[in-house]
Amino acid sequence: MLTPSDLVHIHLLLNHFPTIGMIVGFGLFVLGLLKKSEDLKRGAMAVLFAIALISLPTYMSGYSAQKSLRGVRTVSQDVIGLHQRSALFALIFTEATGVVAWYGLWSSRRRRSLGPRITAAAVLLSVLSIALMSGAANVGSEIHHPEIMSDPDAAVSTEGILAPRWLSSEFITRYQYSHPWAWKTLETIHFMGLCLLFGVVLVANLRLLGWMRNAPLAGFHRLLPWGVWGFVANSVTGMLFFIGQAFQYIENPAFHLKMLCILLAGADVLYLTWHEEVWEMEAGATASALVRMLAASQIVLWIGVIYFGRMLPYIGNAF
Amino acid sequence: MAVLQWIQDLPISAAIAESDSLWWGYAWWLFVHAVGMGLTAGIGFVVCLRLLGVGRQIPLSSLRVLFPLFWVGFYLNLVSGTLLFMTDATGIARVWELYAKLACLALALIAMSRLRRFVDSTENDLTIPPAIQKTAVACLVLWLAVITSGRLIAYAVEARGAVT
Repeated sequence: MLTPSDLVHIHLLLNHFPTIGMIVGFGLFVLGLLKKSEDLKRGAMAVLFAIALISLPTYMSGYSAQKSLRGVRTVSQDVIGLHQRSALFALIFTEATGVVAWYGLWSSRRRRSLGPRITAAAVLLSVLSIALMSGAANVGSEIHHPEIMSDPDAAVSTEGILAPRWLSSEFITRYQYSHPWAWKTLETIHFMGLCLLFGVVLVANLRLLGWMRNAPLAGFHRLLPWGVWGFVANSVTGMLFFIGQAFQYIENPAFHLKMLCILLAGADVLYLTWHEEVWEMEAGATASALVRMLAASQIVLWIGVIYFGRMLPYIGNAF
Repeated sequence: MAVLQWIQDLPISAAIAESDSLWWGYAWWLFVHAVGMGLTAGIGFVVCLRLLGVGRQIPLSSLRVLFPLFWVGFYLNLVSGTLLFMTDATGIARVWELYAKLACLALALIAMSRLRRFVDSTENDLTIPPAIQKTAVACLVLWLAVITSGRLIAYAVEARGAVT
């Protein structure tokens, strides 16, 4: 299992991806717009989607890095707090970009080109994400490399824009403790999102596995966003659990396995949304062995997500 | 009540309540209950959404194969729910949320059977009668109510100081 120092290394490795990946995705998208290439634009959407997924463990492993620096006197805890808040602010925009990117890939299955609204949303959100993410990364680099910090107060003075107070872990934790219904409401929404997501995943993948054969795959197209809304509900509520009580998750092996299952399932979703063969399946058509294998693995992975989610208090230390 | 105490004292109840095993212990049955919830409410959501017009190209007849899977989920939860109840029968029977859940569940099952009869009998994919659409809306709300009251049982039992 992952040790605390592995997790710090994961943070130091992953933290380059969000900023650089976002810039690459955005660059590809602009190139696609200039060259009027739908393929390039779709490639850019796939990159943005993947970066949104990778940003989740990047953010979460930050808590391990923070823990490892507790009590180290050469490091300013204020700068770490600022880094954490600005990273969360950037993460919100990055995840929104990821949702728009998925939506773009999904809608290009119906229309041959991306609509103006998705294009505008993708450009706006990725620019904002890049700006906020590089701001967060910049503050982060001052934790690791205090020698390059020009003026310690300069970072703190921009925090009003870059890092609102209500995004701090302390604020969210305090809110959860002073409003006992908050946690219960989040958990209830988390269970509802689970059912919506799992239902859509199950039915769409069962079709790929050969059930409901008299339905063309295009019929499931409109159903898929409902599954994504379930996932969005669960990432928002899940992140609020994590941010509020990070220390019951960061070293919890069940949580690591849950995240691993989510990332693999996300890669599966990306491939199946991307893949031409899948969407050309008419009524009565059978999927290729590869697609059937991916469909089966996706159902298993989401059951894995449920399993490790339920095991958080039993394998690990969560309540 | 003596009966509840007797249920709770059965060897199987005590064994599950006290087992730390990830296989067949309390945690395992909680997991089975969550998967069963995903199957029943999840399939319920998809069927209701289709009847409300989401994914019109899916022939209604193809939904028929989902109902047996729905019942698999239901029986998984009947078994796991009963076992979870048995581990703390005296505590859980005391909270009103349990009865609210069972009532919502009964209504949801009635709504699902009605939808199933429609799906089994119809040949027309395009027009869905308003009565069926209303049932589908009610069914969606009822599944959300079952999930919510299920969560509330755990919190209510916890708040009253019993073992969760």
